[in-house]
Amino acid sequence: MKNIKSKYTLISSLSLVAFVILWIVVTDVLHIFPSYALPSPITALKTFFRKLVQTSPDGSTLIVHVLASLQVTLSGYLIGVLVGVPLGILMGWYKPVDLFVKPLFDLVRPIPPIGWVPIMMLILGIGLRAKAMVIFVSAVIPCIINSYSGIKQTSETHINVAKTFGASNVDILRTVAIPTAMPMIFTGLRVSLGVAWMTLVAAELIAATKGLGYMLQIARTIGRADIIVVGMLVIAAVGALLTGILEFLEKKFVRR
Amino acid sequence: MKDRFMTVFVGSLAIGSFFVFWTYASTTTSAALFFPTPLEVFRYFFDSMHTRIGKYTLPMHTLYSLKRVAVGFGLSSITGVLLGVAMGYSKTINAIIRPLFNIIRPIPGLAWIPMAILWFGIGETTKHFIIFMGGFANVVLNSYDGTSKASPTLIKAAELLGANKSQVFFHIILPSATPYIFAGLQVSLSTSWMAVLAAEMISSYEGAGWIINMGMQTGNTLMILVGMVAIAIVGFLLANLMRIVERRLCIWTVRGT
Amino acid sequence: MDRERDIIISCKGVSKTFIAKNRKQNEVNNVVEGLDLIVYRNEFVVLFGPGQCGKTTILNLICGLETVTAGEIIVNGSKVDGPKPDKGMVYQTTALFPWMTVEQNVSFGPRMLGVPKPEWKKRTQYYIDLVGLTGFEKSYPVKLSGGMQQRVGIARAYCNNPELICMDEPFGHLDAQTRYLMEEEIERLCSKERRTVVFVTNNVEEAIYLADRILILTPTPTKIQSEYIVDLPRPRDYTSKKFLELRDEITREVEGFVE
Repeated sequence: MKNIKSKYTLISSLSLVAFVILWIVVTDVLHIFPSYALPSPITALKTFFRKLVQTSPDGSTLIVHVLASLQVTLSGYLIGVLVGVPLGILMGWYKPVDLFVKPLFDLVRPIPPIGWVPIMMLILGIGLRAKAMVIFVSAVIPCIINSYSGIKQTSETHINVAKTFGASNVDILRTVAIPTAMPMIFTGLRVSLGVAWMTLVAAELIAATKGLGYMLQIARTIGRADIIVVGMLVIAAVGALLTGILEFLEKKFVRR
Repeated sequence: MKDRFMTVFVGSLAIGSFFVFWTYASTTTSAALFFPTPLEVFRYFFDSMHTRIGKYTLPMHTLYSLKRVAVGFGLSSITGVLLGVAMGYSKTINAIIRPLFNIIRPIPGLAWIPMAILWFGIGETTKHFIIFMGGFANVVLNSYDGTSKASPTLIKAAELLGANKSQVFFHIILPSATPYIFAGLQVSLSTSWMAVLAAEMISSYEGAGWIINMGMQTGNTLMILVGMVAIAIVGFLLANLMRIVERRLCIWTVRGT
Repeated sequence: MDRERDIIISCKGVSKTFIAKNRKQNEVNNVVEGLDLIVYRNEFVVLFGPGQCGKTTILNLICGLETVTAGEIIVNGSKVDGPKPDKGMVYQTTALFPWMTVEQNVSFGPRMLGVPKPEWKKRTQYYIDLVGLTGFEKSYPVKLSGGMQQRVGIARAYCNNPELICMDEPFGHLDAQTRYLMEEEIERLCSKERRTVVFVTNNVEEAIYLADRILILTPTPTKIQSEYIVDLPRPRDYTSKKFLELRDEITREVEGFVE
């Protein structure tokens, strides 16, 4: 058994190495792609380290961009979670709330979050607030959906058991329904964060003065593909990091 | 019966009060300066069915967007399913592709936009590419899941009945992967719709995304809202399209609600 | 009677060890050890034992779904070396293919083996009728009750015309009422279509009702402890004196196994 596993690990490592070599060959050695279209990995690496501290050509260092993006993402995300999870829980538990909010929710839901950028920009201007609102919309939807589903999953049997102990409706919600819904709520938190991060990057492509999306956009206009590649990988890395943190918290706090 | 009535009643109440609130806000508060009333939005919406916004009417713009989605989604679905199934079936192929896939996958589809514009300019290919990248990873993942999770009991049962390797693949593994593949396609479709909007907002001269972007640039709230309505309608239709197709093809599944 | 020529299954010194990978050490599980077993043509043999005693493993080994760690199994003259369609299996969980109709399930074996269409159609219909599912040819398994699903499983195994059929506690998941019905069904089926059957159960009444010969298995590592030949006329009466005596005898023997 052990042999087979390490055989596949070897294949994976070789594949990765082969890919990097191919990349280098195609760019630095054979010059099939001009450097403004595809940088060699070595250039990309150099650019990464340089951009950490350099502010050219877009006015901020890489670190500042990352922090700016994170700031908007997290503010919109937190508000989305604080609104979305309770709302989803209430909708799942109290029928009148469900009947009232669901139709409005169904109107908003089919619009991809990015479609909210123009209207928010018009109302709130180009600053942090407009983008945070867009992120809020993007995060609140999965939170509501997942919290709602989680509550709906509460088993009748458990509810009946609590009732025979004389628990009130609110008590049952607190002690039975919400704990049952925890795994799905966490899934909602995870999905929302992913969507929020992705939406923010797109929003920054359209209208921003700082942030990773902005960095990508400027780099494109001056043909700096190396910055673009660095940016894309940093976006991926930060996204993965955020998801990883949530997964870690999920393992700690959610007993499956 | 009473339940049905309550649902419709409260629902209408909710939507009704939403419109009342909107009308109030757009006529009496300071928002009236730039925010149109629901009536104005409806009128403009129906007007744009035959009057042009920019180069085309509203339906034409929407069709443009949908055409791009069709191409990008079609490509990402076919290649995604092929790759995902191959990875699920062959551990060797999985070992080779995995590391590359794990690097590409966390890059959000929309983050490819600047690179795509640099490579392909602002034509149709760029949009197809971005839509493709938006949905591809998910389709691969779901197809991989479905293929690799095919029940060993069923596979063994088929082998005992005399099926050879390729028969097992086509009669057992593929059908059991189908629900997973459809789940992936559904997500990919909604991501594709989002991707086309983003791509159009950044670089195009037609399409639903262009409409709302143009509205933003010219300060024309009416245009933005009408665009958003069209986007919502199409988004809704696409979300349910997959569900209907899936129900037809997977009547045999025992699904939880 | 010269029964040597009529041996369908011969297990000699068969052992099966599973190694479960735990975090720190490998857990070695000797499920079957030194098993000797003989089954004659057209015999209905019941493997009887308490739960968790490797009965399923023995069936899997006979059908080639698992490989032996030691010893050898010879079925119908050739050594068992992987799953081959000369053996059939009815599974406890039915293992029906959910995306295929009843007809497609039952005809799966013949279709894969290249049997021409008119032939497999006829054969399939025969077995569907035989198990009492006429009219359900186009239904999907998800729409059928547990008992009906198991009948499809039985028809599917028979339709492939195997030399022997293994049945792994096929009625274990059914309610008591349906179980009695199914036992009668099998009895009727076997009297019409005589086949070699190796049947696993932990229900003593079921064993006596159906078996020509009952083999008592020990808990793991499993071996054959003793053998009972059931000589009562068929179909059997659950309440006859001899039936009840046999039932007591076997129950007492197996009682020792339950701690």
